[in-house]
Amino acid sequence: MEIDDLKTIFADAWFIRAFEDCVAALSDAGKIPGLVHLSHGSEVADVMLRRHLQPAIDKITGSHRSHSLALIGNIDPIALAAEVMGLSGGTGNGLGGTQHIVSKDTLFLSSNGIVGAQVPIALGAALSARRLENSGIAVAVFGEGASNQGGVFESFNMATALHLPILFLMQNNQMAQSTHVKDVAVVNLTARARSFGMVAEQVDGADIVSLENTFERLIQYIRETSSPVFVEVSVPRLGGHYHGDQSCDGQSKVDPLVNLQKLLQAQDMHDEEIQTIIDDAKARAKNAVDEAQKQRDQSGESLKRYINDHPQLMGNL
Amino acid sequence: MPIMTISEALRSTLIQLMQNDDHITLLGEDLSMGVFGVTSGLDREFGNDRVINTPISETAFVGMGIGAAMTGLKPIIEVMFCDFMGVCFDQILNQAAKTHFLSGGNIDIPLVIRTTMGAGDGSGAMHSQSLHGLLMQIPGLIIACPATPADASGLLKTAAQSNTPVIFMEHKGLYAMTGEVDLEIPPIPFGKGRVVKEGADVTIVAVSKMNHVSLEAAQVLASDGISVEIIDPRTISPLDTRIIADSIRKTGRLIVVDEGAAIAGFADHVISNVVENSFDVLRNAPRKIAPPHTPIPYGRSAEAVWLPNTNIIVDAVRDLMRSDNE
Repeated sequence: MEIDDLKTIFADAWFIRAFEDCVAALSDAGKIPGLVHLSHGSEVADVMLRRHLQPAIDKITGSHRSHSLALIGNIDPIALAAEVMGLSGGTGNGLGGTQHIVSKDTLFLSSNGIVGAQVPIALGAALSARRLENSGIAVAVFGEGASNQGGVFESFNMATALHLPILFLMQNNQMAQSTHVKDVAVVNLTARARSFGMVAEQVDGADIVSLENTFERLIQYIRETSSPVFVEVSVPRLGGHYHGDQSCDGQSKVDPLVNLQKLLQAQDMHDEEIQTIIDDAKARAKNAVDEAQKQRDQSGESLKRYINDHPQLMGNL
Repeated sequence: MPIMTISEALRSTLIQLMQNDDHITLLGEDLSMGVFGVTSGLDREFGNDRVINTPISETAFVGMGIGAAMTGLKPIIEVMFCDFMGVCFDQILNQAAKTHFLSGGNIDIPLVIRTTMGAGDGSGAMHSQSLHGLLMQIPGLIIACPATPADASGLLKTAAQSNTPVIFMEHKGLYAMTGEVDLEIPPIPFGKGRVVKEGADVTIVAVSKMNHVSLEAAQVLASDGISVEIIDPRTISPLDTRIIADSIRKTGRLIVVDEGAAIAGFADHVISNVVENSFDVLRNAPRKIAPPHTPIPYGRSAEAVWLPNTNIIVDAVRDLMRSDNE
């Protein structure tokens, strides 16, 4: 990685941070129908993942906490913000919402309101890639909480049994809503994944050199061998389970973005230049969210149109 | 036209569909063996990349089918018994059924889930249920319940062309039933029922095996001079309410015979729809013939008591004919 790579990573990660800060402000202002689960803490790890994916052939599925993945996964930030607010111009025209971002033809495929359900779905994207012989891979991103779901265990086994090109990317932020991982799993989760017969490694989500090396090496391995890989990335959850949830604050946390900033400073980058990158990211995020706010809530119309367009799905004919 | 069993009709149709569309991929347990003969040996014909014998992991392979449908393939999944949907219900209820809607209709889910239903073969409480009524309550799912070889073939063709998920329910007790099948006939549209037998006095609505049981009852009743009209909706969601309403206008009397839930199931839905829309032409209260509200029992005599049968239908029709409103 060169210094320019570091700047780009810093800028991209800050854009996600600023976008999520805008979403938090929208929520505080009462402009979001439900609760939002923000990505604070995983931005750097997500941007590092993105460097090794190919949007034309790869697919990501994510959890309820997927705004960051949607942004690295080529979802238009305006469309994402609009969907989070339930407005027209969103990925689902306001019918899906923050936990149900579904998109065709983008690197990001879908997020999910059910913990762990995105993991079997990623198997299907991997199967399509293998059948269509395009050397694409699927990435199932989930938390350590989801790693205790049966469907996730089934998926580990299915992927090894069928030789599917999939990266199981577990972002371990130690907290499943309010439950600490040490209270619900007594073994090392990477070791547990390895027991299914796949390569399984752990990496520090604040260490970009390790992230770069791990993703580069293992994603290439998945493409070349059509084999599954498990990676556990430790990331902090820098807020509550959802925005406004105060129940889990007070833990000591390292912010990977602050670490990255220190790295840039150690590379003799001036504070003014760093501040310019941050200010620019904030401005871009604010522009996207402002643009989305110009959209109206036409979700009622979207619903009527859906009903009208799909009589065969309405039960009675 | 060739005579085939439902099992043979499904198998021939699958082969035809797979020959015409390379994206169709079969997923499920023991497909190579083919528990009911439908998929036996298809892996040798199409390769184990298109006919995939999965581990016993319904959540993983139903989810895999959904993801594959979202990314370019046309999976046809087999869940060996609909009872097994209990272990993968999230992928059916929350994932398969909702994803098209949540995308604002932007993403197609060309997915078929073939499964079996039906009691009567001593399989007991966990391999015999008929959960079509439960599934029809879930928005986003199309539910087909074919009763003949020709309908099985024609509806499977339509299912394979659908851009939203279809649950295709095959009755275990009908696999060996024979009938004429023209594999060249066009697909049968969803939501289009069939008048199986015309009649003037009573309308019986029934799908799958119960349609055949109702037909037997109609033959007995004909000797009493009671003329029964039998409707097979073929798909229960969407439901051809028009063909039912047209029949009720003629007969003024309705009985729904069903192997599914006695409470809030397919039969109750048909009755509520008729009461809501055809109340003025009803001569008396519609009747429901469904199993008791218990799990399916194992012993031969208990299972026979549990299942609706010809005698029960005959008695109900006779009673109905005697009890018209003033």
